[in-house]
Amino acid sequence: MSEEPRVGVFICHCGLNIAARVDVKAVSEYAKTLPNVVVSHDYVFMCSTVGQELIKEEIKKHNLNRIVVAACSPSMHEPTFRAAIESAGLNKYLLEMANIREHCSWAHSDKEAATEKAKDLVRMAVAKARLLEPLEEIEFQASPTALVLGGGVAGMRAAIDLAEYGFNVYLVEKSPTLGGRAALTGWLESDKRGADVVNNLINKIAENKNIQVFTNAELIEFSGFPGNFTAKIRVNPRYVNERCVLCGECEAECPIEVANEYQYGLSRRKAIFFPFKAAYPPMYVIDQRVCIRCGECVKACRYDAINLNKQPAILELKVGALIIATGYDPYQPPKGEYAYGLHSNIITLFQLERLLDKDGPTQGKLIIGGSIPRRIAFILCVGSRNTTPNSRNYCSRMCCTSTLTNAIKIKERYPSTDVYVLYQDINTYGNDESLYEQAGEKLVKFVKFEDPPVVDIGPEGLVIEVREVTIQEDISIPVDAIVLSVGMVPRRDVTDLISITRVSCGSEGFLREAHLKLNPVEAPTSGIFLAGAVTGPKNIIESIRAGSASASKVAALLSKGKVKAEPFTAIVNEERCSGCRICIGICPYKAITLREVDGRKVAYVEKALCMGCGTCSATCPSGAMQQYSFKDRQIIEQTIAAIRR
Amino acid sequence: MSDNNYEPRIVVFACNWCTYAAVDLAGTSRMQYPPNVRVIRVMCSGRIDPQFVLTAFKQGADGVIVAGCHPPSDCHYISGNIKALRRYTLFRRLLDELGIEKERFRLEWISASEANKWVKVVNEMVEDLKRLGPIKIEVGVV
Amino acid sequence: MNSRPKVAFYWCASCGGCEEAVVDLAEKILDVVNLVDIIFWPVAMDFKVSDVEALPHGAITASFINGGVRLSEHEKVVKLLRQKSKLVVAYGACACWGGIPGLANIYRLEEVLERAYVTTSTTVNPERVMPSQSGWVEVDGARIEVPKLLPSLKPLDEVIDVDYYVPGCPPTPEVTWNAIQVLLSGKLPAKGSVIGASSRSLCDECPLNKTKPENVLIKEFKRVVDFVPKPDECLLVQGLPCLGPVTRGGCGALCINANMPCTGCFGPLDDIHDYGGKAISFLGSILDLEDEEQIRREISKLPDLAGLVYKYTLAKSSLKNLLRSERK
Repeated sequence: MSEEPRVGVFICHCGLNIAARVDVKAVSEYAKTLPNVVVSHDYVFMCSTVGQELIKEEIKKHNLNRIVVAACSPSMHEPTFRAAIESAGLNKYLLEMANIREHCSWAHSDKEAATEKAKDLVRMAVAKARLLEPLEEIEFQASPTALVLGGGVAGMRAAIDLAEYGFNVYLVEKSPTLGGRAALTGWLESDKRGADVVNNLINKIAENKNIQVFTNAELIEFSGFPGNFTAKIRVNPRYVNERCVLCGECEAECPIEVANEYQYGLSRRKAIFFPFKAAYPPMYVIDQRVCIRCGECVKACRYDAINLNKQPAILELKVGALIIATGYDPYQPPKGEYAYGLHSNIITLFQLERLLDKDGPTQGKLIIGGSIPRRIAFILCVGSRNTTPNSRNYCSRMCCTSTLTNAIKIKERYPSTDVYVLYQDINTYGNDESLYEQAGEKLVKFVKFEDPPVVDIGPEGLVIEVREVTIQEDISIPVDAIVLSVGMVPRRDVTDLISITRVSCGSEGFLREAHLKLNPVEAPTSGIFLAGAVTGPKNIIESIRAGSASASKVAALLSKGKVKAEPFTAIVNEERCSGCRICIGICPYKAITLREVDGRKVAYVEKALCMGCGTCSATCPSGAMQQYSFKDRQIIEQTIAAIRR
Repeated sequence: MSDNNYEPRIVVFACNWCTYAAVDLAGTSRMQYPPNVRVIRVMCSGRIDPQFVLTAFKQGADGVIVAGCHPPSDCHYISGNIKALRRYTLFRRLLDELGIEKERFRLEWISASEANKWVKVVNEMVEDLKRLGPIKIEVGVV
Repeated sequence: MNSRPKVAFYWCASCGGCEEAVVDLAEKILDVVNLVDIIFWPVAMDFKVSDVEALPHGAITASFINGGVRLSEHEKVVKLLRQKSKLVVAYGACACWGGIPGLANIYRLEEVLERAYVTTSTTVNPERVMPSQSGWVEVDGARIEVPKLLPSLKPLDEVIDVDYYVPGCPPTPEVTWNAIQVLLSGKLPAKGSVIGASSRSLCDECPLNKTKPENVLIKEFKRVVDFVPKPDECLLVQGLPCLGPVTRGGCGALCINANMPCTGCFGPLDDIHDYGGKAISFLGSILDLEDEEQIRREISKLPDLAGLVYKYTLAKSSLKNLLRSERK
């Protein structure tokens, strides 16, 4: 730095928030004694127009070139003061704030101590301010395209909204069809099914030219930075093309049969199959994991729609943002949990919904184990709320509502069937509370437990042993069928996604938002957004809402055509760098490479990829790698100032 | 050794996204704690070079805290905190070998919502350092 | 009287290696001898301190002082040489940063004496005879002055003003020759510079640097006693805690060429505030483990961390003033 620092210090009272505990005048006087401080002022509200004008005037009057504002947390008003000094002609990064409110006046009742601390914090800020350098924000062109990963309700909603905003959308779905799990979900309200919602969304997508759909496709690589990501997807072959008319002749000839995951294993399908009624795209698909390539389907097809020699295609997509909406898996009880897997009449809530669906394996008839059950029991919280050793900690949110909706449906269709609901709590929240009343009116029997019930398989059939805590009695309930109300868990393949996109997950394995209140639907990584059950259990409404929310966030990011990044990137002193390569493996963003300069190989930081953590700077054994605004010298001077009065 | 006027001086290196935010939250919530700490903000605990910690001790800090986001997965920059964990596990071994009391250095993981943990850590450290007394040092020349 | 520049050599707490380093100049030493007038060199020549005292101030062009300052005698003579010299050069690791003897600073003087004179396993000293700390001993009725041990070992620049530093344990002949040439060139670098060596770390000249993979990460720390390293692969990558990345280069990677990891005798680069701190920073960072227990276990394999990262520089560590304090 060629110029001599001329520091202006501005102490805010923040009304009484600071001034009631910190003697702001004394701090201002103290600031004047510090080397290079030219002028120091205090004012009631520094962030106000008057306060900002004061700063701007003083900059011009005294030719200040470094500004310290002692006030609230930088997370509140750093942008305010940066803008203020910029409008006075100073580079906006020549500002340092001292946090004398959140970190001082609000936390310390001893006025003398608080004032001394405020003085120290100002001294520290001045020490750093002296060494600040002008920096420029980094600007990138942004691609007006988004990648939506996951063709369920959240992803589809996001795609539609984005297309309406005018963006191009790639909608990439791993399974052969759009629709996700909502397509298989049963009744939402009395006359609407999950499948109906899905159909509505699929129709909107099919007719929208701005949305390009890739099914049977997965994300295999993801790199770049907001506005400029490169996503590699692998489109796995369906082996069936658009000439398919859905006649089903191929299916009839196929010799391979497997459990049908689109009916949650309640029926079987062939290796060549059509997932469900309104599946999209409307063509058959061959499950290459089980196909034996016998060619019978090819022979049977009169439309020349099948080609067994199709190869996977790798596509490189340039996108500005990514929305991850990959959903969840249902909790799968291990064999023996509530006797699941030991008796065919013990099913999960998801399977029950297929049975009650007119498009399900029994056309909507509640046939379990060959007949309509006279007595059926639901056990709630299976896999949730720590009920069993394999359970998760959390509540899965949607199972109570879904259980009661289905219990009511059963009673409506089969009034003589006894329906039991074994529960710890009934969490039908919001307006769904009315389901609880309705269920009671329909004579659904509620059995409250604290210790999980035990399911016995006796010679007479299934018996549930449970301690009912309302009447404090052990009771036995003989039943014909048991529905385990299982919750939601993260998808098994979420770990692959995490390593490809570098998003992070919480302790339960769901992806983590940057901040539930301050940055909803944003992943901590810039440019990546999270919608739907991928972040935790949600019902269909909540997932759709999150899809819309993430679309609007993407629009906000990309709508200006340019994306800005803060300039706190790492920079190599090439003269000092020995090319030891130690920084390269340290960078989580692969932003550092080796480059030849004057016949030597030295480190090079790709500014666009650098996210500004500074880990390389701390690691660099030569001290050649430094982070703008957080250089060794700057931090060390700040540290010395923290102690040395 | 027990000077009743002795107030320990603690330097804290805190990462912007987690610990610094937790300290803000403690203030916003008006949680009261001893004023002995001076917080220095960095973007990530991965930026915290042991040289900074050594500088603080050299100047006469009675205690130093290095704080960041919980490993393994809370780091805003993915794995900066893991590097901090490795470095400071090694660093602590150095302090042990040199005979510096272990209470004088803390590596803490404090997330943005854990204001009460921040307050607890500060209270504990001030209490420990009061008991140990000031760090014995001839204040060094930079 | 000839007008060749006068030079002096002096050794403080020294192993003698730096003196030999001058001799290792081999034939070049004749060039040196022809260019200068050596007026004080205790190891090799019979000049006395009183000869130096007799010189006018600034008469010596350059004094090359090696070894750390541990005795009152050292302190006295280096101060004298400073008075009489235009330039003082801290020659070798001990003079620059305390060197290996600086490791004694971990202990208080009493502890050092106790160990050296009483508790070492091959010592038999039941009467606990210790060096005199009064400054003199009586022999046959005469008082003989005996230097006092100072409470700690000090690098040269903590006792006198130092103009230039020549690093190494000892400095190599090449570095020594480079340094001499710089001093005789007439174009002196900024005061306080390290001369004769590189401005970059050892990896810059190490022949094994190019064998490193893209990501330098290790899963464990190994010791040289554990295995014979492959001679054609970076030693750090093989798990040895080689300090090459954090150490100034200029030595020609002698140790690496002998299949041994760098231990850091050329000290820190410019702008590094604490050599050991920086060494810990990079060694810790590249240990590719995530679990705290695993990390601790791996670290416990290193038997003497302070000795590893501060082998030559402990006396310059940021914590040096703590080390001599009362500790439990």
